Amino acid sequence: MRLITHNMLKCHVKNCTDPDKQFPLRFKDAKLEQIEAERNDEFLVRMLPRIEWAALATTANELGIELPKEVPANPADDDAFLQGLHTAIMEMHVKEGSMLCKGCGHEYKIAKGIPNMLLAEHEI
Amino acid sequence: MPKFIVYLAQYHQDFRLAELDSLARLEGVAIAYDRAGVVEDSPLLEVEVGSAEEAARLVRRGILVRSIVEYWGSGATYDEVFAEVKQRPERWAEYAQKSFKFTVDSFGRTLSQDDKVAVIESFSFLGFQGPIRMRDPEAEFFVCEDYGESGRSQPNERPRRIWFGRVVGRGSRDLIDVFDVKKRRYLGNTTMDAELSLVMANQALARTGSLVYDPFVGTGSFLLTCAHFGACTVGSDIDGRQIRGTAGFRRGVDGIQANLAQYRVADRVLDTVVFDVCRNPWRPGPLFDAIVTDPPYGVRAGAKRLGRKAGALPERSLRVVDGVANHLRADYYPPTVPYEMSDVIRDLLDLAAEKLVVGGSLVYWLPTVADEYEPEDVPGHPALRLVANSEQPFGAWSRRLITMEKIAPAAATAADSRLAASASPAPAHQNFRDKYFASFGRATAE
Repeated sequence: MRLITHNMLKCHVKNCTDPDKQFPLRFKDAKLEQIEAERNDEFLVRMLPRIEWAALATTANELGIELPKEVPANPADDDAFLQGLHTAIMEMHVKEGSMLCKGCGHEYKIAKGIPNMLLAEHEI
Repeated sequence: MPKFIVYLAQYHQDFRLAELDSLARLEGVAIAYDRAGVVEDSPLLEVEVGSAEEAARLVRRGILVRSIVEYWGSGATYDEVFAEVKQRPERWAEYAQKSFKFTVDSFGRTLSQDDKVAVIESFSFLGFQGPIRMRDPEAEFFVCEDYGESGRSQPNERPRRIWFGRVVGRGSRDLIDVFDVKKRRYLGNTTMDAELSLVMANQALARTGSLVYDPFVGTGSFLLTCAHFGACTVGSDIDGRQIRGTAGFRRGVDGIQANLAQYRVADRVLDTVVFDVCRNPWRPGPLFDAIVTDPPYGVRAGAKRLGRKAGALPERSLRVVDGVANHLRADYYPPTVPYEMSDVIRDLLDLAAEKLVVGGSLVYWLPTVADEYEPEDVPGHPALRLVANSEQPFGAWSRRLITMEKIAPAAATAADSRLAASASPAPAHQNFRDKYFASFGRATAE
């Protein structure tokens, strides 16, 4: 699972509705693997407005991946920034572990890089 | 604007102009053609495009387009064609010394090799002196005799129209072979065929820089074709076994992941996630440039959503088994209930209205009962505009490829979230599974 995907997912358990706690989910026992990928600046720049930056930076830092606290003024022309972003959201994969909700504590397991976000019947 | 002839594939007729229109949007090429005058069963379409370069760009991703040809002349007889070609002798000079080849094609009647040679020789007035080269000639000329109505036992004697011109660009029909499902490492019993998967990527305007989502990802065909054209893709499915490859065909090859290396799209197929799209965990707001999907019809793959039938056994997720709450056990799988077709489609439109960026595309298959279908059945939504509706018939039933564009931001309040609706109170796709098995289930399906 890539961090760009993680950045788009929130806890969706019934009655867990506090937007500040549902998102971002916090990784637990994350096994990271870096897989080289071709840099795609057009995609990175187009996604920037859709990324929740604070959540991404916090999550990346918790995993030991460096990202600046804020997006620089001219991201499209900032090669170092784009490289860092590319590595963080396109090359780093969480292969095993889980994601925890800060609100209700639900644990979403990740196996072989695939998150399982199915809910139990008391949660829907 | 200069005239060109689009040479269309004689497959999926109802999809061809929809694809051409999508290609024009995708490539930013302005085209004009006489929509009212389109001859439905003809593979040849006269269009106006700004230049030969733009014409080549227009068709380069075309799946239902064979080629595009600079128009030099046409007519019911060769004399009429020659007369039109001779009106512009100045454009022959450029090719006088170049290597060239002639391709003679026909529609609705088979031409013998001798017929073709005679046709080519009849164009000798052009006075081309260069060498004939079958591979990579500098100029390629195209003749097509259209007799109309292929497959008749007694073909028409005279062509409906004869076309002539210079080939300036080709489509991407060779990709159909590249994505041939028979050559795919991992597939399932609902895997979409290559040709239509590729057409869908064009309908979705999938391209470099865009993010495409399939909410019923299955074995992931659309992740592959959209990523091939440069888009990044994500998928989800309630059935993780299809994603992981632990059920269905070709088990043990690592599921969708196994196909990524084969098609060199691992850099762009971002992730596949297991969840029920009815209860999806996407955070609020627009995230995707396109949603491309084949919703479960419930015929081969039973459509399911999380839930429990009223009156069934009480909830068991919290029952403690071997000291652990049931829902926390590794092999816990939550109960599901059937997901009725018209609900699937309404939910899909609501999802698209919320999750697409403005200008984004929803491309999906709507299965329907052929006799009962009315255009009003196709569900609408205030934030979505119908772009194309192409039918693939299967006798008693058919499926329609629906393309919609998001034209307005979705209303922010949750109260407005259920806006998708059919104008018809009982659309033909409602209870599709029941109708399928009751009335025409014995016919060959899919």
